[in-house]
Order: sequence, then C-alpha cells, then structure tokens
Amino acid sequence: MTPRRAHRGAVGAAPRAGGVLSVYRAERRKLLAQLSTRVLVLVCTLGPAVFAVILRLQSGVPADTLLGVWVHSSGYAIPFVVLGFGGFWGFPVLAGVLAGDLFSSEDRYGTWKTILTRSPTRKDVFAGKVLAAMTLTAALVALAGLSSLLAGLLLTGDQPLVGLGGTVIPSGECLLLVLVSWLVVLLPVLAFTSLAVLFSVATRNGIMGVLGPVLTGLLMQLLALIGTGTWVHLLLVASAFGDWHGLLAADRFYGPLIISSCVCAAWAMACLGTSWLILRRRNFAGTPVARQRGWVAPARAVLAVAALIVVLGIASNWGPVAITKPRLEASITSSFNRLTRLQQEQLGRSLATAAELDDRAICRRRSSKSDGPGDDWSCAITIATPRAGALETVGYDVSVESDGCYKADAPTSFVGQQMMSDARGHSVVNPLFTIYGCFDIVSAPPCARTATCGQTSELQRSGHPTAAPGDEAEAQRLHEAERIAGPTVMRKINKADAKAARESTRPGPEEAEPPAREARHSSVR
Amino acid sequence: MATVIARGLTKWFDTACVVDGVDLTVGAGEVRGLLGPNGAGKTTLLRMLLGLVRPDEGTIELLDRTLGEADTPALNGVSGFVEDPTFYPYLSGRANLELLAELDGGGARALVADVLEQVKLAGRGEDRVSGYSTGMRQRLGLAAALLRSPRLLLLDEPTSGLDPAGVRFVGGLLGELSANGVAVLVSSHQIGELEGVCDSFTVLNHGRVVWDGSAEQMRAEAPPSAYRVRTTDERRALAIAAAQPGVRAERSARGGLAVEAQDATLDSYVLALAAEGIAVRRLELAMSSLESMFFKLTDQPRDAGAGLMRPDRPSLSPQP
Repeated sequence: MTPRRAHRGAVGAAPRAGGVLSVYRAERRKLLAQLSTRVLVLVCTLGPAVFAVILRLQSGVPADTLLGVWVHSSGYAIPFVVLGFGGFWGFPVLAGVLAGDLFSSEDRYGTWKTILTRSPTRKDVFAGKVLAAMTLTAALVALAGLSSLLAGLLLTGDQPLVGLGGTVIPSGECLLLVLVSWLVVLLPVLAFTSLAVLFSVATRNGIMGVLGPVLTGLLMQLLALIGTGTWVHLLLVASAFGDWHGLLAADRFYGPLIISSCVCAAWAMACLGTSWLILRRRNFAGTPVARQRGWVAPARAVLAVAALIVVLGIASNWGPVAITKPRLEASITSSFNRLTRLQQEQLGRSLATAAELDDRAICRRRSSKSDGPGDDWSCAITIATPRAGALETVGYDVSVESDGCYKADAPTSFVGQQMMSDARGHSVVNPLFTIYGCFDIVSAPPCARTATCGQTSELQRSGHPTAAPGDEAEAQRLHEAERIAGPTVMRKINKADAKAARESTRPGPEEAEPPAREARHSSVR
Repeated sequence: MATVIARGLTKWFDTACVVDGVDLTVGAGEVRGLLGPNGAGKTTLLRMLLGLVRPDEGTIELLDRTLGEADTPALNGVSGFVEDPTFYPYLSGRANLELLAELDGGGARALVADVLEQVKLAGRGEDRVSGYSTGMRQRLGLAAALLRSPRLLLLDEPTSGLDPAGVRFVGGLLGELSANGVAVLVSSHQIGELEGVCDSFTVLNHGRVVWDGSAEQMRAEAPPSAYRVRTTDERRALAIAAAQPGVRAERSARGGLAVEAQDATLDSYVLALAAEGIAVRRLELAMSSLESMFFKLTDQPRDAGAGLMRPDRPSLSPQP
C-alpha cells in the first residue's frame, strides 16, 4: 500500500478510542523498555536466590531478622527473611522506582502533549498509568517471593519451620503461610505505589517521585521507634509490612492485619484521589507557564513536612500503649515453654507438656521507660532444673519492635551454644538460643500483672504468691529473678502479691497442695 | 462544512492575556495559515484547540463536537502537535509510533510502516529517537499525526528546523492532505514558508486576530514587494524612479537603492533604466509582498485601551 493510498483510505474514519487498557499496554511497554525496570526485574529474580546461596555458603545466620536463625534449618525461612528485609526498605524503593517517575517522566520528556492529543482521555491516561504501576509492582513482588521460596526449597529443603512463638509449622502449612504472607504485603506495597504516584504528579520531578516514597518509608520507621501509643503506629503504612507476623505467631492474631488493610486502602485512595485532582486541573501550557520555579513552594513544602513530623512525633504517644510488660511477659513465657519442649524433644529427653511447664518471665527495661519498643528490655525467666529441684533463672536480652515482635538472646552459659547436637548426633539450631515471637498489640492485655494469668493463678493456687518462709526453692527462684529483673520491679510484684494474698480469705481445695514442679521439669541445658 | 469553529477564545496566564477573543473557522479541505510574530498567541490557540489548555472564555467545536472539559474525548479525527513534537528518547522512532498507535486503540499499528515511508524516515525507523536531528523529529511528529488518519490536522510550526528541501516536502504533504479532504491549520511566524501552501490566513498580533481572509485577498491587499537594486548610477536611477508611477525608491543605508514596486511596475522601471543607459548590477528581493503585509499587520504596538491586563489584577505597568 502506498503512503498516499494508506492515508486516503483512512480519511474520514475516526480512530478507535484507546481507553484504559490501551494506556496500560503502552505504559507497560514503556516501563519494560527502561533500564531501571529491567534492573529491578533482574534484582527481584536473582536477588533472593543469590542471597540464599550466600547464606548457604556461610555458617552465620541473619539472626537479627525474624526467623533468621532458622535459614539453615528450613527452606521456608528464606522467603520470610527476604520479606523482612523487603519491608524495611526494598518495597518502598521498588514502588518509588516503578511509579515515582511514571508521571514526571512525561514532564521531563515533554510528552504530555503527545499522549494527551491521542484518543485516551486524561482519566484513561491516569487510570492506565496507575494500573501499569500497580500490576508491575505486584508482579515484581511476586517474582521476588517466588524466587526466594524456590531458592529456599532447593538449597535448604522443605523442613518444618519453627514459627514465631515456638510452634513447629508443618511443611504444607509453611508453603501456604509463605504465599499468604507475600500476598498480605502487597497491600502496603500498593499503598506506597500510590504515594509514589502522588509524588510524581505533584512535584513533576522524577527524583522526588523515586526518593519520596523511600524517605517516607524511612520516616515512618523512625516514627515507629518513638512513642508508645498505638494509634499513630497503626496509621503508618510502613507498619503494615509486618502484618504477616501475626500469621506465624503461636496464637495467630489478625487485628493489626485488618486495621492495616483499611489504613492501606485509605492511603491509596487519598493519594490517588489527590493525584487525579492535580492532573485533572492541570493546564498543559508549556514549560514556562506550567512550572513556577522558585524557592517559595519548596520551602513551604519542607515546612509543612517538618510540622507534620513534629505533630506525628507528639501524637505517637496517643492511644493505648502497644508494648507493655504484661504482653511481653506473657508472650515470652509461652514461647520459652514451647521452645523448651522442642529442645527436649530434639535432645531425646522426657517431655514436659506446655501446660505442665511453669516457667515465668519477669521483664523490665533498663531505661527509665517502663513500656514501649526498644532493645533495652531484659527478661528473667525462672525455671526448674532436675538438679535436686533447684530453680534457675535465665536472663534474656530482648529487643522489642513497635509491632509487638521481639527477639530474645540467651546467655550461652545457661542454654548452650547456638548449635547443639540432637539425639541422633546431628548439629541443629538450639531453639532456646534465640527466641522470636510476636504478640497482638491491639487486643486487650493478657493480664494485669506479670507473666500469664494462668501461671499467676498457679502460683496463687500453690499458696505462695510471694516467697513463703519455708519454701526455699521459691525463695531462691524469686531472689534470682530479683537479681536479674531489678529490685524495683520485684518490690512492685511483691506488693501486688501480698495484697492479693490478704484479699484471699481461704484457699480452694485444689489450691491446698502445691504442684511438685521439680518432677515436671527437665533440664534445658 | 467547518471542521473548526472557535468563537471568542480568551486565555489569561496570570496577568497577561495571551489570546484575546479570537474567532476562527477552518473549512474541510482548507489549509489555513495561522500567522503571527513570536508571542502572538498562536501556540496557545493551538493548545486550546488540542484540549491541552482550557480557554477562560469562548467555545470550540471540532468536527461538530464541542470541546469542553479536559477529559472530553473530542479529539477523534483530530491530530497534530504544538511546539516541537516530543517522543520517548529511549525508544526507536518505530516503537514510538507503535506506542502512539496503541494509545489510539492499536488499529493504527498497521499504518506505522506506511507513515514512516511517507515522511521519508523508513530507513531510520529502528534508530532511537535520542539520535534524531530536529528535522527528523519534525518528520516523526508529522508521522505521528498522520497515524491517526486525521480529518483535521493542527500543526505548530512544522517547518521549524527543516532544511529547504524539508520545507518543500512539508508543503507538498499538506497539499496532498488537503486534496484528500483533510483540513489543516498550520502556524508559522514566517509567511514565506506558507506562501503557496495555504488557501487562507489568520494573522494574530498580541493575542488578537488582526487579519483574516483568503490568500488571494491577502495578495490583493498586500503592499508592493521590496527589492534591493544596485545600478551604475544611483542618482539618476532615483530620479527615474520618482518619475515612474507605482515605484517608490530611496537610498539604502547598506548601499544601492531600496525599491518598492509591484512586479509589473518593477519590470517597467528596469526597462526604463536600461533605456537611459543605466546598467542594473544587482536586483534582489528584500521582502515579498506577503511578507510586507505581515510586517504591516504585526508591527502595530499593543493597543493601550485593549485591556490586556486583567482589570481585577494589579497592573505590572508603572503607568497609572
């Protein structure tokens, strides 16, 4: 067909309208043609696999990351560790690179007038671009998840995984949890993508579009470190990156996940709605008129952001306290009990059921604060050993995050080294060396005082809410706990126990005989 | 049938009125030149017609559809570009056109090879646009416009950056499109480039229409062409010019004579010089008749009473 005939044949025939899907296909093609996107595809495909290979080759483990100590024990730990890293900075970077330059690049290349004079409307262009950014971001997250899962399974295997709180999760359930966890993290990723779109549309600057979500993510994580209140923390999108923790907890909880899902949806709607309003009202009148250069607008923006940070910092103490002593004590006690059972099973020793274990944690902070996140928590767990019924206390250094997840490190003098030999002589991870756990920060606290209510009741049932003069073992136990937890904490506990004892007029028949704890315990050493 | 009917278009940017009550009509198959010096409002007018800028006042009808909100899909059958045509530099010319065809629904993808050939870019279609010259980008812009099989083509200085051969090529292409019933509105600040291409002209100055009519009408109203003449005897040549009806001559600051005359009277003047034994050493066109008309129309100062400053905004002028 000659050019002339090609043109003549088409004159008078209005072209078929493009619509959202046409814009989506065009944007997808543009994105995939860019070097930055190709690098991201490569990183998401090979990055987790390379990470798994490096971990496999070295003896050390990323113990500071939740479940990191289990990367050599179960292939399912790898995708969770990658998920932990990704939530910290990787996903905001991904969202920023993919969506942050999606709109501003049209300003940079001056191509708004090129695409807005084609068939799609502005609404189509906006929706198509957002759809492309969302789907590509989600696809890359899925790619990273699958890559890390496959790498973990191929390099380490599909062994059961010790979850958060000490429960052993079977292989099939682990697979499901990996998939669901990566699915859950898509919500904040898409919220960050919306944020990147807003930065891109509002600033018309690719650098701000890419860096904006990353800096916002880091800022949110800093805000999560300060303050003890729950409200602001739950309103931060970055907090939602840890929502999958509740799925791996011993007692699963969904409260933060439900709240964060609503928060992420609200963030996404607010960001996209604002972006659309800006784009809809915009006059594409050329560079000199469209861009009002100067320092006033940036200065105003910086001042507004600074003011917002200050307000959020102040507001971070609002609402119920998320990280409390009772919650931590209850969680770490039950985690310790479960891991003790696991350790004893691995050592081939007689088992004590979780209900029979009567360990009790007393936690305190080394700083002046009594609640809140921080790495200055210490928990003293008193346990019985078979050595003539002696009670021993083991002190854990605990780092607690604002989302209720913690990592507790034990002294090697009591629980041994990180690796131990099981009953068959295999080198395995000592479950008690590092304890990972998470507790629900939005539900009601488990108990008004220390440890679990059940264990407190058992102490009370034993007739020894505090150390009775004749009970040397109990006295030894509390003395050791006091030494580790600190006298102030113990004085408060003793006062509370004494008050409870005075109010108790007569012990019940089942409380008359104290249980013989020595018989129920096995060595944890 | 009119493809463009614009009435009372007005656009303010801050305190400046860049388009002031413009009326414009372009018929089917008509090639209309939109003329004006830099800053006359040509590009803003084209932006309004392409839906990139909302007019503050006035109405626009394109192909019997009213152009309203920014997201109104009124541009089917309309294509063009303003200022320099822009593309994604990291994609090839062909990929850019395929992308734009995709935006139009994908049906135009089959035309990509044809339009590349039509604008003489078939051999460079696989090269990245970042390596294209200005002229090649202009050609690619024309290709992108043709890809939409337009019934109305709006082009903003399409010959900018083109060599003479390119200018001639664009002229030929516009003529071909016009012959096929496509209406073309093409802007330029150089009337010489559009002479012989356009059927009609609209001249803008300071945002207002200062002249509107057919090419024949403009030629009829245009002042005589201006020439530079060098002779063997300038003094006598001046005296002969004074005696020749329809010829106005004066000494030029750059030497020789500046002569204004219509073609026919210029012929008589040259013959008269020869008859008096005066040789013409050089005769060159300094300004064509239409160019003279253009300068006459656009050399007017901004009308002080026109209210180009918005009355409800503070004036930037120091004058009260």
